[in-house]
Amino acid sequence: MADNASWITPAAAIAESFPDGFSELRPCAQVNLRGDIADLAFTDAVKSVTGLTLPDMPNKVATGKDFKALWLSPDEWLLVGEGDAEALVQSLEDALAGQHVAVNDVSANRTIFELSGPHSHHALMKSSEYDFHPRVFAPGDCVQTLIAKSQAIVEQVGENMFHIYVRSSFSRYVGGWLAEALAEYNEAP
Amino acid sequence: MLNIDCPWCGKRHETEFRYGGEAHIARPEDPAALDDTEWAEFLFMRKNTKGYFAERWLHNNGCRRWFNVIRNTVTHEIVGSYKMGETPPKLPKSAGGAK
Repeated sequence: MADNASWITPAAAIAESFPDGFSELRPCAQVNLRGDIADLAFTDAVKSVTGLTLPDMPNKVATGKDFKALWLSPDEWLLVGEGDAEALVQSLEDALAGQHVAVNDVSANRTIFELSGPHSHHALMKSSEYDFHPRVFAPGDCVQTLIAKSQAIVEQVGENMFHIYVRSSFSRYVGGWLAEALAEYNEAP
Repeated sequence: MLNIDCPWCGKRHETEFRYGGEAHIARPEDPAALDDTEWAEFLFMRKNTKGYFAERWLHNNGCRRWFNVIRNTVTHEIVGSYKMGETPPKLPKSAGGAK
């Protein structure tokens, strides 16, 4: 297993200044998976390895036992979990041998911020042109959009809780931006 | 600002997209058979339509798919979007503000 426990991102330098309800999660396994969802051999193999039925609806998340799958494009998903990325890649490659697919360990590509609290969607709404209002965006949804002009994946993991995936090299900028966006709601009225 | 309807992700803001120029330009079947003038015609020459125009867009900050959009170049009205290989939606009868 890749030793990612010691990984740090540029955002770590400002982590102490993050307000309540905002933090950077410790590194986890992220695997990019591409294949044809109309091909039963592909979906069955993925299901046998991960237990996941890949979401075919755009911008949806499927949750399994160890991993969840975020819809990224019609033939692309991001598998995220606490498990071992290298082992997952190996078992997917074994199960998918001979098929026209791509499996890549991208754990180091993006870091994940967790944003929570009753005003978390307000902090997102003022950082993006996407509509994060609860009537549009609900738990189980994910979206790829721009957060403070940086490419990001936003996943709503629960009521008033979001995970924001940003490129590690942008993490200090986006982390600082979101921390500041949330700070005003934490001030005493 | 445009609200562009990605065939997969739905309506998104223009900043998530990249423009790809005129749509439905077929690559020559046998490029080697073309002379320089014909090749330049394929590579560079584009319509400069006033009114409804079929153009390509890339949802580069979203699902990273190319698709086509019918847009009025005068009013910025977007008639519809469709996936690569699909039949374009019917154009409105009027030239749509192109006077």
